[in-house]
Amino acid sequence: MKIKKGWIPVFLFPAVALFLLIYLVPLLIVFTTSLFDYRLTGQGMTFIGFSNYLRLFQDPDFYQAFKNTVIWIIIHCTIHVALGVIIALMLYKKPRGWKFVRTVYMIPNIISNAAMGMIFLNIFNPTYGVLNSILKVIGLEHLTRNWLMDSATAFPSVTMTWVLFAGYTTTLVLAQALSIDESVLEASRIDGATSFQTDVFVVLPLLKKMIGTTMVMAATYMLQMLDLIYITTGGGPGKTTTNLPLLLYGVYKSENNYGYANTIGVIIVIMGIVVMTIINKAMKVNDEDY
Amino acid sequence: MRKIVALFMTALLLTSFMVGCGNENNSQDTTSNTQEENPAENSNVVVINYPTFQCGVNTAAGVVAQLVEEFNEEYAGKYEIRLEEIPGDANYVDKIKVQLGTDNLPPVIYGGGYNLLDLVLAKDMVVDLTDAVESDPEWKALYSDIALETNSRDGKIYASSVEGSVVGYFYNKELFDQAGIDDPAKTWDEFFEQCEKLKAVGITPLSLDTADSAWVTQLWWGAIVGTANEDGLEFMQTMNPTDYNTPEMIAAVEKVQKMLQEYTTLDAIGGKYEHAANNFLSGQTAMIANGPWMIGDFSDLTKTTEEFADKVGCAVYPGSFIYDAPIQGYFVTKQDDPALEEAAIAMVKFFTSKHAQQLGLEMQGMVPASSTVEITNAAQESYPLLADFLGIAAEAEKRSDNMQSTMYPNLLDVVSQELPRLYSNEIDAAAFCEILTESAAKNQ
Repeated sequence: MKIKKGWIPVFLFPAVALFLLIYLVPLLIVFTTSLFDYRLTGQGMTFIGFSNYLRLFQDPDFYQAFKNTVIWIIIHCTIHVALGVIIALMLYKKPRGWKFVRTVYMIPNIISNAAMGMIFLNIFNPTYGVLNSILKVIGLEHLTRNWLMDSATAFPSVTMTWVLFAGYTTTLVLAQALSIDESVLEASRIDGATSFQTDVFVVLPLLKKMIGTTMVMAATYMLQMLDLIYITTGGGPGKTTTNLPLLLYGVYKSENNYGYANTIGVIIVIMGIVVMTIINKAMKVNDEDY
Repeated sequence: MRKIVALFMTALLLTSFMVGCGNENNSQDTTSNTQEENPAENSNVVVINYPTFQCGVNTAAGVVAQLVEEFNEEYAGKYEIRLEEIPGDANYVDKIKVQLGTDNLPPVIYGGGYNLLDLVLAKDMVVDLTDAVESDPEWKALYSDIALETNSRDGKIYASSVEGSVVGYFYNKELFDQAGIDDPAKTWDEFFEQCEKLKAVGITPLSLDTADSAWVTQLWWGAIVGTANEDGLEFMQTMNPTDYNTPEMIAAVEKVQKMLQEYTTLDAIGGKYEHAANNFLSGQTAMIANGPWMIGDFSDLTKTTEEFADKVGCAVYPGSFIYDAPIQGYFVTKQDDPALEEAAIAMVKFFTSKHAQQLGLEMQGMVPASSTVEITNAAQESYPLLADFLGIAAEAEKRSDNMQSTMYPNLLDVVSQELPRLYSNEIDAAAFCEILTESAAKNQ
């Protein structure tokens, strides 16, 4: 059958036009305004070249936020995704109650980040929180503390608010695992492979692209993360739990310096591109299967 | 046929994208400040679109609603106020900032304690009210010297206040009795001795907070600074101070560190105002610094127990200090239509009149901006503690505005982020003050 290629651009045009309008044009505006002194109370915009970038690279708060963002991306792409994959590998064998577990494990991901933040604020509350209450009951009162406001525990406490909830990863990887041809698995069983060997040497390689995709999703999720941190610690104590989006928000809200805030935005975009490229190359997401 | 269907579907897809944008433009038009809608009906009526956060559960919602009704009645056929409800003061401030950025401000803005006047003034979009106020003796008489200072810049009057901010602290008389304390402290040494007495009988002395700019904590902090010496009082009376590395400031922060470490609840660190208020209202703490707007909560059975109001006393800070400054009021923004500016001025005058201030006092327990507004019997009956408080406040010797109103806005988040580090000894008072100074310098 002859494919009428002429219609392809016609049908693609609305989506491309929308993409350009909603994403590319604002992106260009963000980059352009980062080269200007652009404030809420200023009289217009003044071109200052890369001064905002120079200021950013001399700002210790930026390096702290950058470091926190990178660490969280790494944790999310490794531990969080690994957890989701392990649970998916357990569920794809369809043990009893697997559908129930799949649904229940998704629930934390359905709850909004704002609500999750409030839940964990109460869990970690030093006076009446669940965690300190349990520690007191089991005789570990000496371990109780203000988990979110102690510099030693604030970062891991905030991390705990999302690292365990890998429902999206599990759902996507499980769907991919369930679509694997049964004959492949049967062949491995006939060859004498154990269940573990089948999972590691047969199933996982077939899931590599989907795992790579979930890693990209995890990385971009961390590059957008703001509400959970804002509600739990506000980026504190000090800048202990501040990431780049929160730093950007702080500059925008408190200093009303849009040019400088957009500079941080450009760095976030560049980070996103770099991270996605690294993950795609490492997991060979774009490679052909044959 | 298939080509026609394909073309039709493409056109439909394109059109559906545009429809959404078109609907958004239409909804923006409904909140426009001009009288484009219903031109036939309202051709002579100037419509004032007034966004406000004083709606819903806000304590001032009833007052604002009544004032709007009365204004629309008085100016029927000439002016009309249309409320745009924006729940949450932070959302209101964000909306005004966005509108400022797009040069599309509403005709009337309520400055509140959010430093909005200076932001809008920096873009030269505030109407000078000097002539309007000077030509109206009744309006002029409502401005005290402090109110003139708060609402004026470079000798020109730009805003008009409706509410005063007289802030001391409240204490639980029953808990004081248990600790053997008869009266509120007159000096800071006595104050800290009272804290020790309360601790000795197992009572947590203070409700404090660190989140959301640490409102309650900074009231104590500012009072300590303001009573340290003349320089401290001058600092508290300075708008947008830049140098926090002063001896009185460092000494005050040391005392705040002690209060956080020894005299308050553990959830004060990272806690918001709601935690501090709840601790006081539930009888867990003996003292809370706050304004008279909290008085209504003492009788609110959804927040505290019956007869709690009878246990509450009020006091000025040790050293005879009180926060006393009119809250920055309503101001008019420059509009293309002179008639709209005129209507907006009439609205500001109405909303800050003696009647409006009295209404706020009787309905909300709001402290009037003007001392010429008498405390009516109705207000005294509804809010006896307020009457006591205003009486005590009148005798205070030192006064200033609170730090949240005078410091640069970017410092509010810095305070919330650094107080937990101060509490955990990660930084000392000098380092805390240095961080504030560095952050203030970013505004230069």
